[in-house]
Amino acid sequence: MNSIRRKLLLTLIGAMSLVMVIGAWATYSAAREEANAIFDYHLEQIALSLRNQNFQGSTEALVGEESFEFVIRIWDRNGIEIYYSRPNRELPGVARLGYATEHTRDGAWRVFALQYRGLTIAVAQPLSVRARLAARAALHTMIPFILLLPLVALLIWLVVSRELRPLTDLAHSVARRTPDALDPIGEQGVPAEAWPLVHSLNDLLARLQTALQTQRDFIADAAHELRTPLTALQLQVQLLERASDDSDRAAAMADLKQGLERSIHVVRQLLTLARQEPGTGEPAFAPVRLADLATASVAAHAAGAAARQIDLGIAASDPDAQVSGNADALRTLLDNLVGNAVRYTPAGGRIDVSCGSNDDQAWLEVSDNGPGIPAAERERVFDRFYRRSGQETAGSGLGLAIVRAIADKHAARVELTDAPGGGLRVRVEFRKNA
Amino acid sequence: MRLLVVEDDAMIGHSLRTGLRQDGYSVDWVRDSAAAELATATTDYDAILLDLGLPGKGGLELLAHWRKQQNPVPVLIITARDSVAERILGLDTGADDYLVKPFDLDELSARLRALLRRRSGRATPVIEIGPLSLDPASHEVRLDGSEINLSAREFGILHALMENPGAPLSRSQLEDRLYGWQEEIGSNAVEVHIHALRRKLGSDWIRNVRGVGYMVPRQP
Repeated sequence: MNSIRRKLLLTLIGAMSLVMVIGAWATYSAAREEANAIFDYHLEQIALSLRNQNFQGSTEALVGEESFEFVIRIWDRNGIEIYYSRPNRELPGVARLGYATEHTRDGAWRVFALQYRGLTIAVAQPLSVRARLAARAALHTMIPFILLLPLVALLIWLVVSRELRPLTDLAHSVARRTPDALDPIGEQGVPAEAWPLVHSLNDLLARLQTALQTQRDFIADAAHELRTPLTALQLQVQLLERASDDSDRAAAMADLKQGLERSIHVVRQLLTLARQEPGTGEPAFAPVRLADLATASVAAHAAGAAARQIDLGIAASDPDAQVSGNADALRTLLDNLVGNAVRYTPAGGRIDVSCGSNDDQAWLEVSDNGPGIPAAERERVFDRFYRRSGQETAGSGLGLAIVRAIADKHAARVELTDAPGGGLRVRVEFRKNA
Repeated sequence: MRLLVVEDDAMIGHSLRTGLRQDGYSVDWVRDSAAAELATATTDYDAILLDLGLPGKGGLELLAHWRKQQNPVPVLIITARDSVAERILGLDTGADDYLVKPFDLDELSARLRALLRRRSGRATPVIEIGPLSLDPASHEVRLDGSEINLSAREFGILHALMENPGAPLSRSQLEDRLYGWQEEIGSNAVEVHIHALRRKLGSDWIRNVRGVGYMVPRQP
């Protein structure tokens, strides 16, 4: 598992250990240098003090501290050794006067030599003494660190755990969310570092809630609206059962067929709308020629229009009018507009379908000379299941809702205006750069 | 019995009118609240079937309006709104019954009969006056135990008269109860049906109150 806590702990402990080792090394170097300076001076002082000594007696007092391991050797002018404080140790011979560092089988030595009235006096000390002293100093600085390390690790563990608790709380509060309770996560107590996460989560929750609510509303509306055609169907079936003679039966059967057709229409429109609702996935967009759409739609509605003596045709067609979109969806859009016009235009009326384009936009237009829609109602007719009062024709109440949903997917604008002939003109504008 | 159906959907309204006429009611059908207000202002109905989802002023508003005017007409709500809260609201606004769409035409008829029975203060569905009995549900009329065959109009007239025995109804009152707006009424249609009833039941059962109208006596 990729644990922030463990990572932090290891990194911090590692960094501290590294700093500690560097610190120890620095202490060691400094102590070593200091020891060199002090002991070199010490060597010289011992040698100088030996100048007036009678070497028959003890020199222990001179050498002092046993642990410093000073060794004194004195020769007369004939090169005969007259004194050697520690004959059991192998001291290097004197190569030159002053300070020197010599190597023997006993290790490295620091030697100071001087000549005085024919005597050669050499005082030496193993370098290991100095290293040992420096190491001890370094160790002393490190010990508290080493002893404290577990405590520091524990502290880091606790502090990191405490600081990560808001994240755990956040996880719990996200886990508590259900499709029924998608209220936003509280932002109190959330550390600044987690704000972007909480904001994005709340954003997502809000969008989810909207989408779910839309779905629920849609299902509730659909269930409600399906009752009307089903009620009609049930009544029509019962009337058919009750019919006592052939003419009653024929009339009841004709009504039943109409009722069935309407039910099928409503269900089909519901499915179409459900497919166009936001969040149902984006269909593939491809270039679509509006003139082709207009021709196909007018052809499909020609028979229905002719049956009602409506003059349905294409008024203006622009072969260059082209949009990027889903051909099936755009066809549904235009079919709904033309279908509405055929349904609501009185017999003997006229319906014009046209398309066009300029530099900025392309458009589809359907205008009729029917009763039109009063300006006050032009926004509401796009609502699902909105039906205008006093309509003889029983529609699904979904046609314009479908048109709006498809237009939204294509970033197109739907505009209802008065047609020059007094009816309704519906214009769908597609922006070219969209 | 004359009913008002307030229903905006053409198919449902048409079917209701057809079905209820087959049950012997005279039915007026309106499609919005303005027409419904006009109808109740000019005609007395025995019961009203009311859809709630009307364009314009809603059904509940209409109902509240009638009740505020002290109009006691039995109102049966027929609607797609099926939640308990909506039913409670409908009944508390003054409806006498509440039927959720889709519904069965026979159930609607039964509920209507129950409403009309309650309105006339009877507990039993069958109206009995001595040896004469009339069952509004089965349209069965019996005299001394044997069944009498009546046409729908004849049954309607007898039903109206037997609802309030001893109280005469005028010819125009009977016409109102029997015929909806769009129906042609022959100038002497009521007299023709009265004549047929007398022939089938005996003239004692349908009495003419001169200058007032017709009645069924409390005691034969």
